[in-house]
Amino acid sequence: MNPQIQKLLGKNGEWLASTGPESAVVVSSRVRLARNLADFPFMTKAGRSQRAELHRLCREQLLSMPSPRPFFYIDMEKTDQVDRQLMVERHLISKQHASGDGSRGVAVSDDEAFSIMVNEEDHIRLQVIRSGLQLRECWREADTLDNALGQHLRYAFSDRFGFLTACPTNLGTGMRVSVMLHLPALKLTGEIEKVFVAAKDMHLAVRGLFGEGTEAIGDFYQISNQTTLGRSEEEILAEFADVILPRLIAAELSARSVLEQERPLMLDDKIGRAVGLLRNARLLSSEEALFGLSHLRLGVAMGRVANLTMPTINRIFLTTQPGHFQRTLGQPLDGDARKAARASYVRQLMTPSGG
Amino acid sequence: MKCDRCNKPATIHFTEVRDGKSLELHLCGECAAESGYVQQAHLTMNEMLNEFVKAKTGMSNRDALVCPDCGMKWQEFKDTGLLGCPKDYAVFSDQLRGVIENAQHGATHHTGKTPAAAVAPEDSVKLRQAELSRLKKDLTKALERESYEVAATLRDQIKTLEAALPPGR
Ligand SMILES: [Zn+2]
Ligand SMILES: [Zn+2]
Repeated sequence: MNPQIQKLLGKNGEWLASTGPESAVVVSSRVRLARNLADFPFMTKAGRSQRAELHRLCREQLLSMPSPRPFFYIDMEKTDQVDRQLMVERHLISKQHASGDGSRGVAVSDDEAFSIMVNEEDHIRLQVIRSGLQLRECWREADTLDNALGQHLRYAFSDRFGFLTACPTNLGTGMRVSVMLHLPALKLTGEIEKVFVAAKDMHLAVRGLFGEGTEAIGDFYQISNQTTLGRSEEEILAEFADVILPRLIAAELSARSVLEQERPLMLDDKIGRAVGLLRNARLLSSEEALFGLSHLRLGVAMGRVANLTMPTINRIFLTTQPGHFQRTLGQPLDGDARKAARASYVRQLMTPSGG
Repeated sequence: MKCDRCNKPATIHFTEVRDGKSLELHLCGECAAESGYVQQAHLTMNEMLNEFVKAKTGMSNRDALVCPDCGMKWQEFKDTGLLGCPKDYAVFSDQLRGVIENAQHGATHHTGKTPAAAVAPEDSVKLRQAELSRLKKDLTKALERESYEVAATLRDQIKTLEAALPPGR
């Protein structure tokens, strides 16, 4: 196991800190920039030696750039499968970066607030994450990091199309703005479909917990802009942060108060069952755990659960993910043995003051 | 004149600039199509080749286009959705127009930030000016929205940028 990754495990990481604004509904905010170097082919056409040279160049620039916070660098080829999975679960790298092959790496800030993937779909994928709704803070830092890197790396850029990316869907700003939302009440009131329709109308993409191609488990939805060309970064941010998100947050909060006033029994039943599941299950899958944690999170956010806090829920949330759980166990377990171990682990965390 | 690669008569003549050196090329239609120089040839040559390639392989010229730098073929892009190098945006510009407009909901031009540095000095002035006009536009919008905190940050950025521009512009 990589010692740098080991150091991260004691904490929840930035995206699960639950300390930011609007964290009852907005789990985390993220701004991602895609960049490519002008003098190299994109990854699809980069041969072995070009890949290695790209990696070397980007790594060198990364390590010498002025950074707003301390960070370390990880060579993906020297990182084992479980560590890669851990980084996916902590939203530091994409699934694609974890499962890919060839020379590639990632720079991660010690507090996990930023990570910069080298040789993913584009040469550089820079992301800044903050807890809660803090999109402008994310953009400010992403912009700073991008400028620091751009001082010495010649980016592929055209006056007409802006930053040139391997996939034309990222063209222009190369910016993807996204938020992880927790929308359990909209699900319970049956209004979640309306959100999807509205999102589509507003040219937004809705994804699951771990981004592209993943399902929405436990009422967590990642919402992001689909178009990157034709509007400035500030315009994209303004629409997202000032128009779209306030509406989504208001919709979820109003669904919560409807439940509270009109169907309090149903609400407490859902929350109570989640508490029961997590405190009493003897065999627990990671999906079941997420499902329970979703309703538990709702209960804590609404002040309907005693003796449990958001950090505890986030802790369980993260540490029951397959990669993290395997590290906790220290050995690979399969099937029921694994489920039993997870159940007992969650039971411990759910019991106040270890009693 | 004979083709540089085989002994058939050369029908396509052009100059290629690579690594700062210019190189005269004389190719027959077949070798030109094969080596991916098609899109660099003259338009009328392109049309001629279009017919040639169609007759020869049954493909349209569009599918036969190849980037001379990275070897990307249009068909390959259609299969994967990923381009091979920055130059592909120029090589496949006709075919990409529709793809980009579709993916970007009709947008055709970049209006966001420009790279920080590492560009030629004359470009750098141009880029800074573009950046300046973008920031000013954003500032107007921020004021309209009454986002004063954002406006203040933008004002600072404008000041810094204006100070960096050569005087008298
Ligand atoms: Zn020939
Ligand atoms: Zn190319």
